Amino acid sequence: MLNRRHLLAGATGAAALSFPLFAFGQAQATDKRLLVIILRGGMDGLSAMPPVGDGAYASLRGRLAIARTGADAALPLDDTFSLHKNLAKMHALYRAGELLPIHACATAYRERSHFDAQNVLETGAPGPFARGEGWLNKALGALPQSRPEMGMALSAQAPLILRGPAAVATWSPSTLPDVESDTIERLMALYEARDPALAQALDSAISANAIAMDAGAGDMRAGPRTITPIAQTAARFLKNDNGPIAAVLDMGGWDTHANQGLEQGPLARALTALDDGVDAFKTEMGPAWANTVVIIATEFGRTAAPNGANGTDHGTGAAAFLAGGAVRGGRVLADWPGLTPGSLHEGRDLRPTTDLRAMFKGVLADHLSVSNAALERDAFPESASVRAAQGLLRA
Amino acid sequence: MQRLSVEEDFVENFRARVTRAVAARVEAALTSPTPVHERLVHFWSNHFTVSAAKPGAVALPPSFEKEAIRPHVGGRFADMLLASTKHPGMIVYLDNWLSVGPNSRVGQNPNRGRRLPGGGRPSGINENLAREVLELQTLGVNGGYTQADVQALAAIITGWTYERPRLRDLVADNLATRTGGQLFEFDADAHEPGPKTLLSRTYAQTGVAQGEAALGDLARHASTARFIATKLCRHYIADDPPPAAVARVEHAFRDNDGDLREAMEALVDSPEAWQTPFAKFKRPEEYAISVLRSANVRDLPLGAGIAALAAMGQRPYSAPGPDGWADTADAWLTADLVFKRIEFAQAYAERIARADVDPVQLGQACLGGLMSDETETAIRRAESPVQGFALLFGAPEMQRR
Repeated sequence: MLNRRHLLAGATGAAALSFPLFAFGQAQATDKRLLVIILRGGMDGLSAMPPVGDGAYASLRGRLAIARTGADAALPLDDTFSLHKNLAKMHALYRAGELLPIHACATAYRERSHFDAQNVLETGAPGPFARGEGWLNKALGALPQSRPEMGMALSAQAPLILRGPAAVATWSPSTLPDVESDTIERLMALYEARDPALAQALDSAISANAIAMDAGAGDMRAGPRTITPIAQTAARFLKNDNGPIAAVLDMGGWDTHANQGLEQGPLARALTALDDGVDAFKTEMGPAWANTVVIIATEFGRTAAPNGANGTDHGTGAAAFLAGGAVRGGRVLADWPGLTPGSLHEGRDLRPTTDLRAMFKGVLADHLSVSNAALERDAFPESASVRAAQGLLRA
Repeated sequence: MQRLSVEEDFVENFRARVTRAVAARVEAALTSPTPVHERLVHFWSNHFTVSAAKPGAVALPPSFEKEAIRPHVGGRFADMLLASTKHPGMIVYLDNWLSVGPNSRVGQNPNRGRRLPGGGRPSGINENLAREVLELQTLGVNGGYTQADVQALAAIITGWTYERPRLRDLVADNLATRTGGQLFEFDADAHEPGPKTLLSRTYAQTGVAQGEAALGDLARHASTARFIATKLCRHYIADDPPPAAVARVEHAFRDNDGDLREAMEALVDSPEAWQTPFAKFKRPEEYAISVLRSANVRDLPLGAGIAALAAMGQRPYSAPGPDGWADTADAWLTADLVFKRIEFAQAYAERIARADVDPVQLGQACLGGLMSDETETAIRRAESPVQGFALLFGAPEMQRR
């Protein structure tokens, strides 16, 4: 493997600037770990976490109402809320006090475009396309740089949440042939001489491959519906002494405009994949799970009532989850607005009463010790009125 | 015999058909005597994205590209917009076949509507296509429209659907002389009756003419000219497109009624387009095609080739969402993707390394004066022809355009 310091000493411009070289090895290592799972497409929170105890739920949801009793009944959380039966492993986490379900939450965004909504979810800004940097990148950049890359994307490209000035790693499984290390070294020299951006990317890839190989990442070819192998690999990176402290993985398949199903169907399958992925991640983390928080969030919820195609359209208030040994779970966090016609947002969507930024800030502050100043200034601009949620984590 | 639904039929048949279609797309790009034209097809087929990543639309992007995009890349934008919005590929991909006006005959009596594969019948307006037409295909997200405009356009194009029984023939290439676009069907029973107001203009036409008029106006809107010019310049010149070039292309587009040939000529005539060193980082498919063309490889082994493109982050016809593939380096110049390109370079270096082709000469032939001294020296010093080709294909000059 190539020597990072040697390579960086020769790099110029952007590459050198974005690596705070002086800090390597000096910063206090933290044992806290964070995984963010972004559910892209808008998860239907009223199916994932149905408020079966709300008197208006069954009639409003009609054909898409989840049963309260029977073989396909939802798994109870409290008097009001349940989990979809395909989230059984997450329900077990709840019973162990390691899952904190959140309902009726949203970013600052109130329109219904996926791309704008994901942009706001990931930038932490009050509106879409206000900036090109992600809140996790900015928060990690404000921490002591205890390792070469504090953040990592389990995808070929860093999602917006991880883009920004702080160096982040990316890794995804390969189906292509190996390249001799001698060829890589020669290309590295060429990139250093001619193209610093390529040099920086290649250097980061070399480090990530080394960790994945050390950890014995085997056959990663996963079916379209599973995130289990990639979640296990995320755990391997997070456990590595020189690996990232925060990782992000994406999961698509939530944009259920038509025939989304109830106990079975595309949505139910996606929930199973999420449930299995979280469970596999926990197992792979081993003892480190105790110091871990998993944030599971989506860009918006879906319409409260089904549409004419047995699906749901883009909505507003959503469900989210915090999981992990560090989470003070076993309770539901929701200022429930209700589902009567008058209580719906614009007469059609679950009204958001909890700002997701307050959740994210609470995790960053209490779990990763990101300073208040950095949260306000860097991670979530113009969010002073949105205070970090207290008490999300175990004391 | 068990009858398959149209959607089940897609999934049943999609793998072989999409594989063949990808092969045709790559072959056209590799063998075309007019690669500029193929590049334009790829640009516009990404602007109007129909993606196989959505299960219900899985087999549709190739015919969409062939029938709605390819004929219009040198024509008028309004024609392409109309062809796109009427093509079953787009109508399925963005759910317009599910959209029913609440006051239409079907809306008033849902039992008259088409049965859905999973049971039930569509009964309400679906805004998906209308929203993306405004946000991603014409005005742009900041182009000056509101949620009310989205709803108005959605109502205007209710009833824009396709001949259902014939979609199977489209997927199976059994249409004989008809094209996919000719499967468009206006379902008057699902169309929301009455005039609608879009962007302060009221459309009182009846039937399909209402949508045709609205799309024509959207294609000629000033925001559309700006949005298209910006996207073209971002694609061809720089991630942060130079304002002077954008303005030139915008004026050419607007002054010539959205004539795309005029717009492209304005772009090509822009000095900004010719500045070196080249700033654009090639997308994976562009990169792969340029490597293969330079290596004179005229075919891509099907399974492995598609897997390679997927590994580099760009499985053909499978953009992640209706906004298509990203067109800026931050999405592609990442650790993992850069590494996968090097693996691709290695794979094709192994494939073409032969005693009678010299990697330095090949570099000079395909890069000319763009090849840096460092790259040429590195190739000369390579320990083997395979390594020489790998260095050439992985070199910075091959990664950018």
